[in-house]
Amino acid sequence: MTTAAPTAQNRSPLHKYWVILSTRTQEDMTYRFNYVFGAIFRFLPLVTMIFLWYAVYMGRNMAPINGMSFKDMIVYNALMYIARGFSSVPGTMNDISKDIKDGLLNRYLIKPMDYFGYQVMYRLAHKLVFWYIALLTFPFVFWFMSASGHYFTHWPTLWEALAFLASLVIAFCVGIQFCFMIGNLAFWFLEISTFLFVVMMLEFFLSGQLIPLNILPQWMHQFLFLSPFSYEGYWPCVILMGKVPQDQLLPVLGRGVLWVGVFYAAVRVMWRMGLKRYSAVGG
Amino acid sequence: MMKNCLVREMQFKANFVVRLFTETMWLVMQFIYISVMYGQTGQIAGWNMWEMVVLAGTNHVIAQLFEALFYDNCMRLIDQIRQGDLDFNLIKPINTQFLVSLRYTDYASIVNSSIGIGIILFALGKLGLGITLGGVVLFAALVANSILIYYSILFILSVWTFWIGRSNNLMELYWQFGQFSRYPGEIYPWLLRRLLQTLIPMLIVSNVPAGVLIHKLQTGLIFYGFTLGVVFLALTAWIWQRGLQRYRSASS
Repeated sequence: MTTAAPTAQNRSPLHKYWVILSTRTQEDMTYRFNYVFGAIFRFLPLVTMIFLWYAVYMGRNMAPINGMSFKDMIVYNALMYIARGFSSVPGTMNDISKDIKDGLLNRYLIKPMDYFGYQVMYRLAHKLVFWYIALLTFPFVFWFMSASGHYFTHWPTLWEALAFLASLVIAFCVGIQFCFMIGNLAFWFLEISTFLFVVMMLEFFLSGQLIPLNILPQWMHQFLFLSPFSYEGYWPCVILMGKVPQDQLLPVLGRGVLWVGVFYAAVRVMWRMGLKRYSAVGG
Repeated sequence: MMKNCLVREMQFKANFVVRLFTETMWLVMQFIYISVMYGQTGQIAGWNMWEMVVLAGTNHVIAQLFEALFYDNCMRLIDQIRQGDLDFNLIKPINTQFLVSLRYTDYASIVNSSIGIGIILFALGKLGLGITLGGVVLFAALVANSILIYYSILFILSVWTFWIGRSNNLMELYWQFGQFSRYPGEIYPWLLRRLLQTLIPMLIVSNVPAGVLIHKLQTGLIFYGFTLGVVFLALTAWIWQRGLQRYRSASS
C-alpha cells in the first residue's frame, strides 16, 4: 500500500506558506559562497569600532560613559550584529513599493494567499539562510572576543536570556512591519526612493546601531527609549548585557509588543485604503 | 565624452538634487558620530575634533570624486567582461584601459565633493589654520593621487572577472575597506597600521592629504604616497593586459 501524495484538498491552508519558505531557502542556498563571503567581511567595521572606541576611552582614562565601560561598548556593538540580523530585512521596502508602482501586485492578488504573509515567509527564508551561515561565523567571533580580551563581563540570568530571545522576535516583527508600512506608501507617492534612504538613515540612528542610545544626551532618552526603533537594536543588546533591571524587563517587552500591534494595524489599514487607489497597468 | 555625460545628467535634474540631499544627510550623521565621541574626550589618538572633521571632509572629497569618475565604470566593466561585451571598446583608436575606466562621469558626485571642501574650510577656520598656495597645490596633488590608488584597487578587483567569471562580491570589499580610511591611523595597532599603509593602503589615501592641511605629517609619507600611487597604477596596466589575453567575446 502506498500513501497517496497529499492533494490540494487535504493540505493545511498554511501549507502554501511552507512551500514559499522552503523554495526561497533553497534558492538562497544556491549562492552560499556569496553569503559566506559576506558573513566574514561583515565584521570588518567591528574591528575599526574596537580601536576607535579604545582611543576614545584612553582619552578619558577608561572611565565609563553613562555606565558603559569600554568592554560594554564593544559587546554592545557585537550584539548589535545579532539584533540587526533579526530586525533588518534589506530590500523589503523597495520590493513592495516596486510591486505596487509597476502593477506587479496583480499576480499576488489573484493567488489565494495574503500578500504580507507571502512577504513574511519570503523574508524569513532569507533570515534562515543568513542565520545558517551566521552560526558558522558568529560563535567564532564571540569566542575570539572572549578569549582575546575577556569582553564579556556579564553572564545573563535565565530571565535576561528569555527576555533577549523574546526581544529578538519583537525586533523581527517591528523591523518587517515597518518596512511594510513604508513600502505601502507607494500607493500614494510615485517616487519614494529618496524617502527610503532618509528613513533608513533615521532607522540606523534611532535603533542605536550608530551610537548606543544610552550614551546620547539625557534629554533625548525619554524619546529614544520609547520609540519603536529602539526595539530593532538597542533593547536586545542591553537586555542581554544585563543593563535592564529585572522588574523592567516585562514593561520594556510589553511596549515592544504594543508597537508590533500598532504597526500591524497600520499596515492593514494602509493596505485596505491603498488597494482602493491601486490601478494596475497591463493585461 | 564628458560633455555627452553632462547632457545626459541634466535630463534628470530632480535626481541631481536628491543625490545632493542624501549625501548631505550622510555627512550630518558622520558629524553627529564624531561630536558624540568628542563629547566624551578632548583627544582621540592625538587628534582633536576639528582635525577629525578635516579628515572626514577630505575622505568625502576623495570618495565622491572617485565615484564620479571611476566607480560606475568599474561596475560596468565587470558586466562587460562577464557577458563578453567589450568588443566595441577594444576597436576604438584610444587606450582601452583609459576608455573603459573613464567612459561615464557622474556629475552629481562632483558637486557633492564641493560640500566636502566646504567642510574642510570650515574646520580649518575653527582650528585657526591658514592655507598657503603651496599647501593647496600639494593637497590637490595628493587627493588626485588617492583617487588613483582607490581606482587601482577597484580596477584590479574588477579585472579579476577575466579569471573568475563573476566578482560582484569583491565589490563589497571596496565598501568595507573604505571603513578604515575614515579614522586616524594612530588608532590602529602596529601590525594592522602597517598593513593599511602598504597592501591595502586605506590610511595613505585619507590620512596623508588631511595631514598636509593640519600640518601633521612627516615629509617621508608624502613621497611614499606618490610612489605607491605610481606602483599601483602600473600594476593595473599590467593586469589589464594580462586579463585581455583571457578575454573571449560573445559576439559573432
